Amino acid sequence: MTAAAEVGVEPLPDVPQQRARSSRRSTGLWFLVRKLFGAATSLLFMLVVNFFLFRVIPSDPVRTLARGRATTPKQVAALTKTLGLDQPLPVQFLTYLKNTATGQFGVSFQYRQSVGSLLIDRLWPTLALVGTSTILSILIGLWMGTLAAWYRGQMFDTISTTGTIVLYSMPEWWLGLILFFLFAVGFGPIPGVFPIGGLIDPGVNGSSVHGVLNMAWHLTLPVVTLTIAYLAEYALIMRSALLDEMGEDYLVTARAKGLRDVLVRRRHATRNALLPVVTLVALNLGFIVSGAITIETVFSIPGLGLLTTDALKIPDYPVLQGAFLVFSASVIVANLIAQLLYGWLDPRVRL
Amino acid sequence: MTTRLAAPFPPSRRRRRLRVVAVALAALTALALPAAALGASTGPVKAPVPSRSAASPVTFTVGILNNVDSFNPFLGIEAESYEMWALMYDYMINYNMTDMSPRPGLAKSWDTSDNGLTWTFHIRTGVKWSDGKPLTAADIAYTYNRIMHGSTESSSWGSYLKSVQTVTAPNPTTVVLKLKKPNAVLPLLPMPIIPKHIWEHISEKQVKTYSNEPPNVVGSGPFRIVSGKASGSLYVFKANPNYWQGRPHIDQLIFRVYNAEDTLVQALKKGEVDFAEGISPLQVKALQGQPNIVAQNGDSPGFDEIAFNTGSVDLKTGKPKGDPNPAVLDPKFRFALNFAIDRQAIIQRVYQGGGKPATTIIPPAYKQYQWKGPQGAFAYDPKKAGRLLNAAGYKLNSSGQRTMPDGSPMQPLRLYARSESPTSLGTMNFFQGYLKDLGIPSKITSMESGKLTNTILTGDYDTFQWGWYVEPDPDSMLSYFTCGQRGNWSDSWWCNKTYDKLYTEQHDSTNQAQREAIVKRMQRMLYYAAPYLNTAYSSIGEAYRTDRFHCFVPQPNPGGILLFQYGVNNYVHIEPAGTPCQTWWGSTQTAGQGGSNGSGGGSNPVASGSTDSGSGSTVLIIVVVAAVIGVGGLLGGFALYRRGTADSRE
Repeated sequence: MTAAAEVGVEPLPDVPQQRARSSRRSTGLWFLVRKLFGAATSLLFMLVVNFFLFRVIPSDPVRTLARGRATTPKQVAALTKTLGLDQPLPVQFLTYLKNTATGQFGVSFQYRQSVGSLLIDRLWPTLALVGTSTILSILIGLWMGTLAAWYRGQMFDTISTTGTIVLYSMPEWWLGLILFFLFAVGFGPIPGVFPIGGLIDPGVNGSSVHGVLNMAWHLTLPVVTLTIAYLAEYALIMRSALLDEMGEDYLVTARAKGLRDVLVRRRHATRNALLPVVTLVALNLGFIVSGAITIETVFSIPGLGLLTTDALKIPDYPVLQGAFLVFSASVIVANLIAQLLYGWLDPRVRL
Repeated sequence: MTTRLAAPFPPSRRRRRLRVVAVALAALTALALPAAALGASTGPVKAPVPSRSAASPVTFTVGILNNVDSFNPFLGIEAESYEMWALMYDYMINYNMTDMSPRPGLAKSWDTSDNGLTWTFHIRTGVKWSDGKPLTAADIAYTYNRIMHGSTESSSWGSYLKSVQTVTAPNPTTVVLKLKKPNAVLPLLPMPIIPKHIWEHISEKQVKTYSNEPPNVVGSGPFRIVSGKASGSLYVFKANPNYWQGRPHIDQLIFRVYNAEDTLVQALKKGEVDFAEGISPLQVKALQGQPNIVAQNGDSPGFDEIAFNTGSVDLKTGKPKGDPNPAVLDPKFRFALNFAIDRQAIIQRVYQGGGKPATTIIPPAYKQYQWKGPQGAFAYDPKKAGRLLNAAGYKLNSSGQRTMPDGSPMQPLRLYARSESPTSLGTMNFFQGYLKDLGIPSKITSMESGKLTNTILTGDYDTFQWGWYVEPDPDSMLSYFTCGQRGNWSDSWWCNKTYDKLYTEQHDSTNQAQREAIVKRMQRMLYYAAPYLNTAYSSIGEAYRTDRFHCFVPQPNPGGILLFQYGVNNYVHIEPAGTPCQTWWGSTQTAGQGGSNGSGGGSNPVASGSTDSGSGSTVLIIVVVAAVIGVGGLLGGFALYRRGTADSRE
């Protein structure tokens, strides 16, 4: 990654400078249109795939739901009708499109509630958990990566790189269990100060200040787990991106101008090294909503990840369709943003 | 341990069904790390004894492993949902603690006409809904009529009113059921009674998505739900001070959903919950040494079985379909295998002692219906199994393999286990071993239960492992072996005209003794035809803190489960530790049982044996230390490696 945006690219010799300037606007617009079109196509594709994907699961939701009861074939037929599964597939597909258009995604087979409201109920614990830890790990990871590259081979580099890799290679839930037993259960002299699980204590109003603090307290351990599990990704990318930049001539120039080391790093090297990092960050932000199933399990947090895995066992088509559409949409949107950002940061991408 | 249920109040199935992640985690934890060790070493935290005062209400907190799916009694299917409805609503008929036989609920008494076609229930007066309106026979008739005539309503409860023609309430204290033909299953009527003045405003279309969640849920049960959403993880109930069976001894009841069993057990040890529902036998064992905690595997009326394809057919043409191994189609072959399996060993090794060796499809709790069989009917006797196989023509060849009666080699039996249940795979592993002892080749395949259900319907199987939950009347369980259930709930494709005739006879019987005799005869038929080899009577692991609450009465008594019973009597009758137990109808049903339940386990109705969990935790601590050293070594090694590469980079 060369520092095109930062130091300016010389116009290609055979393109007159005047023309390049006049077409810049339209190139940018064309780039935007192309990317938007690409995203819309992916989304449409997902919309269709989503419907058929879950119908491939070799379980019959009606039989799963009826299994708990002494049901006659007539009752089973009535249930099939209630769930709308007696309709031919094309009709079901149209119903699915209609329900998706309303944003409610139909009614859950299992909970018999609008999937839209179910998703929203489960969305915010997931956002609080995975969102917070993603942002924390980005901030800390990038900082560690920068320092590790700048002082490569030194103590900090060795410790941070090894440490993050070791933590990254541990399964999240395993790491979660260790922290759980150390700080929630308590081990030896360490008191188990954190709650065992859940999102909030009974009887606490979630919308009060006390409630928010209570929730933050409940989320501390899982957020810490995910943060340290994700650290390596950002730290290592940042480190290698920065190492690439560090051989560049413009840094020598900057130093020759008499800039302090810290400023050379901050103003020149880091900014250019951020290009690949932006892609990773944007993509990972898209994955936030899909949750962290194992951590939600260890710490009993009612998030989207668990809702989806539970729905798979019915299989609860409306919930699965709704959830996966939201997941894929957020990844597609994050991807789009990454591409647009990239185009803005590095104009060569737009061509 | 997923179990199909033949019944409402399904305590065992769902709770286990939705725990694949949890089970996998637990298994991995046990291998990888410290769960038990770290936990065991800390021991339970002393919890404050609850005391009743206006300022601090007595709160009983139950930890469960699965969330409720609907508070609307016409929609939910999870065991947790059934428990919530039972707390919120009343029933016309309740169940005894000893054997779940019917006892008066909202109906003080009932009588039947001589021909068995008219049932008259006498309803008690003075029962009030939580909004102050009286509960009368009209509410009961309304509920039952709604179930008979509504499509959603009937798809959940309709089978209990199958033979009922009309339900009327001629006056506020009488409900009359008119039947098309006699029905021995009555008075099994496990449907919660809903308030007419609320639900008549909810149309048949609206009820399909009616959530029935707080605020303002009107009920008549011992508790009223004050907060919680079905898909959520916290449900809060307040005691109903006007409950007709007396005010509950706790003021507040809270359910907290934990997503993993380990977490739930730790929450109990730490005192975040007072009761842990649905834990595994291994956890029960680990908890039994702990002070202030009683843990037990309670008998639950269900069983697990190894089932055979006894002849899958296309129901329209009557021609065979699927590809069963010809051997399993032979009743003599199946019956011989009955003596090849060591049920005691399976209970000890696969179920970790949680459960009892099973005999028939009727669990021991319903002893009046259970067929005992001749001496040694269910004994482990591989020699006898071999003799029976030889006699049926399945002889050993020179290389020690069984052959088909025509002398051709036997194809390996396909043993299907359910991937989400460790006991399913464990049972099949043992079964494979027993088959090998007899020279019968076999192959185990593990599959998801949804896929297995489809496979059973297509007939492409030889044997599989699964289980059923049996409700207090054996009728529906017996019905699954009738010819008419093939393609519906029959999973063995067994069909026998005599059995079908007996089924109808017992269903229509108006003489209890006669009915019991027929039910036993049917079990005898099933024994010799062997569509199922029953392996285990199920149990459910439960634990509670004796320093918080006591006076639990098991159901069935003795030996049964403490919560998620038929009825919610324990929520009403338990006492905070330190308050003496009171005598109530359930506590006096079995002499010397349930009356007192002091902490420490001396006179508990629940066994609280101590085990050598100490040595277990020592081993685990060593494992932890080894793990720490391993990780440390890894870190150190990596640091050296990093140093090397970093140096070479410069």
